[in-house]
Amino acid sequence: MEVKNLTFAYDKKSRDKNKELEKKILDGISFTIKRGKITTFLGANGCGKSTLFYLMTKDLIPDKGGIFLDGKNIYTMKQKDFAKRVAIVQQNNQAAADITVGKLVSYGRTPHLSLFGAPGKEDKDIIDWAMEVTNVAKYRDRELMSLSGGQRQRVWIAMALAQKTDILFLDEPTTYLDIRYQIEILEMVKKLNQEYGITIIMVLHDMNHAIYYSDELIGLKDGKILVRGNPGDIITSECIERIYGIRLEVAEWKDRRIVMTVR
Amino acid sequence: MKKKRIKSALAFIFTALALLIVFFWSVNTGSLKVSGTQLFRGLFIKYDEMVAAVYNLRFPRIIISMLVGAALAVSGVLFQAVLKNPLTDPGIIGISGGAGFTAVLVTAFFPGLFYFIPLAAFAGGIAAFLLVYSLSWKGGLSPLRIILVGVAVSTMFAGLSNLFNSMNGENLSGVAAIVNGNITMKTWEDVNIVLYYIPGCLVISLAFAGRCNLLALDDKTARSIGVNVSRVRILISLAAVLLASISTAAAGIISFVGLIVPHIARIFVGGDHKLLLPYSMILGALIFLLADTVGRTIAQPYEVSAAVIMAVVGGPFFILLLRRSSRYGS
Repeated sequence: MEVKNLTFAYDKKSRDKNKELEKKILDGISFTIKRGKITTFLGANGCGKSTLFYLMTKDLIPDKGGIFLDGKNIYTMKQKDFAKRVAIVQQNNQAAADITVGKLVSYGRTPHLSLFGAPGKEDKDIIDWAMEVTNVAKYRDRELMSLSGGQRQRVWIAMALAQKTDILFLDEPTTYLDIRYQIEILEMVKKLNQEYGITIIMVLHDMNHAIYYSDELIGLKDGKILVRGNPGDIITSECIERIYGIRLEVAEWKDRRIVMTVR
Repeated sequence: MKKKRIKSALAFIFTALALLIVFFWSVNTGSLKVSGTQLFRGLFIKYDEMVAAVYNLRFPRIIISMLVGAALAVSGVLFQAVLKNPLTDPGIIGISGGAGFTAVLVTAFFPGLFYFIPLAAFAGGIAAFLLVYSLSWKGGLSPLRIILVGVAVSTMFAGLSNLFNSMNGENLSGVAAIVNGNITMKTWEDVNIVLYYIPGCLVISLAFAGRCNLLALDDKTARSIGVNVSRVRILISLAAVLLASISTAAAGIISFVGLIVPHIARIFVGGDHKLLLPYSMILGALIFLLADTVGRTIAQPYEVSAAVIMAVVGGPFFILLLRRSSRYGS
């Protein structure tokens, strides 16, 4: 996935009247997502990482620039064709009150079916696989609402996996979860990447999780890329200070860097 | 799972049976009475004067009641899915009012265009829908806002329809029938018009069942699995407006059928639209035919229109729903 010169501003009306009022959320960003790796966006609130995420998932349309998937502009792709290539686990999810886990996961096959098509054997196998990998097969007949937050999040990931794409986006997948489920989800994501070669792109708030589970970090500030690279190389006290505006110690532990999130 | 399936199957069977019973009751309500066997023989085997009279006088009304009930119920389900708002119904959000108004205009000024009344109603329904949709849009559709705007639009159109009704000295029976939701004088000609549109529309709406289910997801999530959310919304809305408009053209402005039926239906068959839509059709037909038949019997020799019965029963039901679910108010 290649991002080229991406520019986006909210509040477009005021831009016409007064050029100075224009607030660019993203300002000419370019980078390439490495295939088969885990890439994580980091940044302070309002830095543009969510906007970048929504642009990459086709939920927003840029003012300038484009995003290319194997050379094809994603904004000219049909929603359905995009969904065959890219799966997204959104941060907020809602579903019908009485829907079962199995039914919900089967929705992931939607882009591969015609409007009235029923899922075939291959679709069913993929649904089963998605539920096995995320360890929710045992809840198949349970209602989604009867599960805990961590279990539900695994179901949403299963739905995305049922799309059988080689790219998976996750928007703050650990929000609202306690630490045990946070780690569980992140380990699962790591497994998906290592065992099935799925390219992962995430937004995470926890720096240490980002460092530990990512191959590549992209640190944003004021709509621009501030740092980009291997977590082991780029994470320093200075780097954290530039991204978040607060100085924190970075320690070494078992050949990894740990950001001390207290001072 | 199994238990649920049995429950749904039982709901289908009992509702269909109840519909059959109310059908026969309705056939036999009034001065003429025919037994089941007599009816069967008269319809299919040998001419029978009594059966013929019943056939010409009561059947049109019964068939229209059932089709309109089914159409309004399905329209309600579709609107609730599209707007993600369990409190919507084509009457409450003004669609029936808009459709009724244009139907009144055509009836009053171009009575020759009898066969085009449903299309005129559709145009009015669309206009009302666009009006309500655009007026209640503020970066999203809040459930409460759409109801408030709907009530305003609905009242305005009802007022306009009443205005034309009064200005004509309430002499045009066609206009008065639409305004008052009166289906007393229906003939087979009226049935034909309804038959052109409603059954086809109901079948089309069944085809949307899968998409209605997907709309229950967050919009972003639905998009991420490849659903063109805006387009699906527009298509389903069109079907819902069409069903409500044709119903209004045929039976006048009727509220609450599209609200009550889906709620009861969800209790029996759950939220899956693949069951909810067909079940709402049967239940809608049952409830509206029941309302019409009760209206015919409770104040003999006078008749109370089904629209009045629905308003009397539906109002408290709506309040009950509002009270039960505090989250609707947010």
